[in-house]
Amino acid sequence: MFVARSIAADHKDLIHDVSFDFHGRRMATCSSDQSVKVWDKSESGDWHCTASWKTHSGSVWRVTWAHPEFGQVLASCSFDRTAAVWEEIVGESNDKLRGQSHWVKRTTLVDSRTSVTDVKFAPKHMGLMLATCSADGVVRIYEAPDVMNLSQWSLQHEISCKLSCSCISWNPSSSRAHSPMIAVGSDDNSPNISAKVQIYEYNENTRKYAKAESLMTVTDPVHDISFAPNLGRSFHILAVATKDVRIFTLKPVRKELTSSGGPTKFEIHIVAQFDNHNSQVWRVSWNITGTVLASSGDDGCVRLWKANYMDNWKCTGILKGNGSPVNGSSSQQGISNASLGSNNPNLQNSLNGSSASRKHS
Amino acid sequence: MEKMARVTTALGGNTLTGRTMYCHLDAPANAISVCRDAAQVVVAGRNIFKIYAIEEEQFVEKLNLRVGRKPSLNFSCADVVWHQMDENLLATAATNGVVVTWNLGKPSRNKQDQLFTEHKRTVNKVCFHPTEAYMLLSGSQDGYMKCFDLRKKDSVSTFSGQSESVRDVQFSIRDYFTFAATFENGNVQLWDIRRPDRYERMFTAHNGPVFCCDWHPEDRGWLATGGRDKMVKVWDMNTNRAKEIYCVQSIASVARVKWRPECKHHLATCSMMVDHNIYVWDVRRPYIPSAMFEEHRDVTTGIVWRHLHDPYFLLSGSKDSTLYQHIFKDASQPIERANPEGLCYGLFGDLAFAAKESLVTSDSNRKPYPGDRRHPIFFKRKLDPTEQFESVSSSALSVFETEPDSSSMGWFVDTARRYALAGRSLAELCDHNAKVAKELSRNQVAQTWTMLRIIYCSPGTVPSANLNHSIGKGSASLPLMNSFNLKDMASGMGSEARLDRSKGENRSENILLDSSTTLITNDENEETEGSDVPADYLLGDVEGDEDELYLMDHENAHTEEPEYVLPQEAFPLRHEIVDNPSGPDHLQDKADSPHVSGNEAETVSLTPVESFSLISISHTLSESRLPPDFFSTLVRDMLRFYAEQGDVQMAVSVLIVLGERIRKEIDEQTQEHWYTSYIDLLQRFRLWNISNQVIKLSTCRAITCLNQASTTLHVNCSNCKRPMSNKGWICDRCRQCASTCAVCHHVVKGLFVWCQGCSHGGHLQHILKWLESSTHCPAGCGHLCEYT
Repeated sequence: MFVARSIAADHKDLIHDVSFDFHGRRMATCSSDQSVKVWDKSESGDWHCTASWKTHSGSVWRVTWAHPEFGQVLASCSFDRTAAVWEEIVGESNDKLRGQSHWVKRTTLVDSRTSVTDVKFAPKHMGLMLATCSADGVVRIYEAPDVMNLSQWSLQHEISCKLSCSCISWNPSSSRAHSPMIAVGSDDNSPNISAKVQIYEYNENTRKYAKAESLMTVTDPVHDISFAPNLGRSFHILAVATKDVRIFTLKPVRKELTSSGGPTKFEIHIVAQFDNHNSQVWRVSWNITGTVLASSGDDGCVRLWKANYMDNWKCTGILKGNGSPVNGSSSQQGISNASLGSNNPNLQNSLNGSSASRKHS
Repeated sequence: MEKMARVTTALGGNTLTGRTMYCHLDAPANAISVCRDAAQVVVAGRNIFKIYAIEEEQFVEKLNLRVGRKPSLNFSCADVVWHQMDENLLATAATNGVVVTWNLGKPSRNKQDQLFTEHKRTVNKVCFHPTEAYMLLSGSQDGYMKCFDLRKKDSVSTFSGQSESVRDVQFSIRDYFTFAATFENGNVQLWDIRRPDRYERMFTAHNGPVFCCDWHPEDRGWLATGGRDKMVKVWDMNTNRAKEIYCVQSIASVARVKWRPECKHHLATCSMMVDHNIYVWDVRRPYIPSAMFEEHRDVTTGIVWRHLHDPYFLLSGSKDSTLYQHIFKDASQPIERANPEGLCYGLFGDLAFAAKESLVTSDSNRKPYPGDRRHPIFFKRKLDPTEQFESVSSSALSVFETEPDSSSMGWFVDTARRYALAGRSLAELCDHNAKVAKELSRNQVAQTWTMLRIIYCSPGTVPSANLNHSIGKGSASLPLMNSFNLKDMASGMGSEARLDRSKGENRSENILLDSSTTLITNDENEETEGSDVPADYLLGDVEGDEDELYLMDHENAHTEEPEYVLPQEAFPLRHEIVDNPSGPDHLQDKADSPHVSGNEAETVSLTPVESFSLISISHTLSESRLPPDFFSTLVRDMLRFYAEQGDVQMAVSVLIVLGERIRKEIDEQTQEHWYTSYIDLLQRFRLWNISNQVIKLSTCRAITCLNQASTTLHVNCSNCKRPMSNKGWICDRCRQCASTCAVCHHVVKGLFVWCQGCSHGGHLQHILKWLESSTHCPAGCGHLCEYT
């Protein structure tokens, strides 16, 4: 069962992104009101705003946490064409500021000439790196060579995607068999049909990112994209939020078969496609094990998706977004199943997956 | 005619038609102005001064006003304005300080009318009076404003701002006599045209220069100002003190601001540098522009709405030498592309969700037109051209939390905490882990552990004679061990009291796990012990359990079962004896190993009898039962399956527990991948101890070195306070043990706590105990120790 806890966010305009930190104890929100807020979970489970500050001179589209190994670090990106890296300073706070943590700007990345639409830190094993993408279709990858110095970021790669970019996602796999990979989604809504999801892979030989795949079937504007946490899988799972929710699997074709040096080839399958939101889907987010996908759409609902043992993805829950307790028998059924089913990924899904889908479809 | 246009505009259509179009100018534009009939536009710049006719499909050059043989500085225009009453009258401000008027009605090629050379520096702005035909105002870099009567040769009055340069001057639409002037020092002054001696009012509007201002066309006394501080502010001038009522944050300095006709709260801005776009803002939603024109490739220098009463056509000139007509429906709307929702999955299965309030509250209201977001908003705007969408949006933020008892990741944490990965025999580990899984109602996982136990430890279908033999011996000479196993089994079947006890034991064993317990010795112990165990007893029990409890898994169990039942009749596989556990070898090893677990001491003491039974068993094993190797591909596939299912915990746990038995089957890279994934997950849940245990137990070189890389311990001797260069625990300077426990006087290895005041300390447990009774230092130094 889910319990909705409504939080008075007190942002002056739309909230565009919410992000949990690595340990799930902190949360950051960003808004069009040009500010970012950091929320900490108290012992009682309440979320308290511990910092709120103006970060940009335009709408802040995304906020994201770095791995805690690098400190308490946030990155934000904005309509004002910049991305910024922030670090929390503790100690040396006077009485007035006690309780309010103090965030300082470590760097501003000003390379983009248009709105920076997404920013993501690379998986930890790659070091302190981050990727940004911008509305003019350029993905930029920055690296802080010295992890102790967050003010020094060098632009390592510039990937031109040709299409206006709206979202990026790093492949989180820590396997040495998987080269660094980044998926880019485009919200370009011009009528020309072209793949709106592109996947770029780092090539050790050329030391460049090269396009590995395009998801040709995705032709509508993409609003969000997310690789599932890998957790030792040999393949990758990618969720795409477009006019519906789609889930793809990407199985690397064995390197020996492809010509060495070239980009990895993938066997791409679409394993699920749902238009239950009946509208644009804005966000997709994976749970920590990559077994449950949450999506939110213009219908104001969050829907949970999960695969049964046959790899059939089903809706296992619907959450109303207004923070009111979830009621209604159908959704309740789905939700209780969702929490139950997650205890045992393989056995119960077949049952609740199908029952839930009957109810919700 | 204007009346007509106005009416039709208000009805939704308009007399103005056209498309987004542009024409290339010969030179960068500095300013543009439009004729009152909305059919012509004048473009002025340092090297250009031309009039274009705005036609349906294109701009057509109508007149070049830069005539004459040698180019005069008088033609170098900083600003241009077209009279709104008289379509033949133009005025330009030259960079050399000259104000020029032009009469298009002149028959000659040179249309220049009058020349006022009164300003000493660049004239930044010229402005006609909105209703008075002959009144012209200019503002200059020299800090003066001048009012000209076009019927006279010289200025009629001069206004001194008493401060820095004048950037903009604008006649009020509301008050006949009032005009506003903005200054580089951030001030705005209001003047009465009749009183040149002193301004009526002055206020500081911006930090840094105020580049522009614009009176609201609808007679409201609203003044918009834009400055280098990237802000547009709207002032209500009706009150005694100018009151800031709106403030818009742009992303670059604001060079021009123009109220949008027919839209009370809209204004257009462009920037002086960096930003080439033109934004249209709804001042009530000051953070994000409602529309944006992105055509220009260089700084936009002039913007003007094509018609006084038409909100859809905007003309602009730019340093990129183009003149554009922008159509509102072609504008990009950042807010339409912006995500109205944020969603994030938390660690424990909680979901943070932020959504635009209108999406989550008025569910029923918006049902009739789902997906309307996909239509460009101008359709809506057409219906109501003056005021469109909701002025301010806000989001509702909520966190959906899983209830503490049903936390969807609770099983992971529990499992990680309770699994035993080493330190006991394989059979015990499997049993224990199966029990843990079962208690967390993860039946399939429990089943898997049980099967692993069957595959790898018990003789399986050992002939009964042999079995009796070993049992007889076991029960006679191994009472301790037997009871242990029994207890384990019983708790597995649900006896609560015993369960708790055994849990406690597991814990302590996990914690006390010493670095000296290497995996290899464990393995060997396990194997020998495994063949010692009264196997059929265990097996029988477990099978009974399965049948009763796990109907779900029945299929699964049966698919596996035939595979090891089958070999009874099958051709016995020839197999190198080396692969099977051979008793004597192991016993020797064991005798050498310094392991001190209770069970083991027992087994060791029984060597002579046991060796006999072991040999006999291993003999029968190879004949009657498939060797574990037979299953390894199956087990490998199973681990892969778990990993693909997202349960890397199972994969890694089995990998560690089985150790060498399965290690060869799975390539190093995959193992490493599993380990790193699992460790990452453990660290997310802050299970540091377990993550370290996993690192320590792993056999991957890349993983085991995780804890060694960039970890340096600097140790100082507690006696002489010098760095300990030696590897041991004896300081080579003062020849004493460096870190002895102040309570028990033994050397402390591992966790050492000490008081930072007197640097005495010792074992954590001992110090804790000591502090319960006394606050003084146990070393007797008299210090009142403090531990934080």
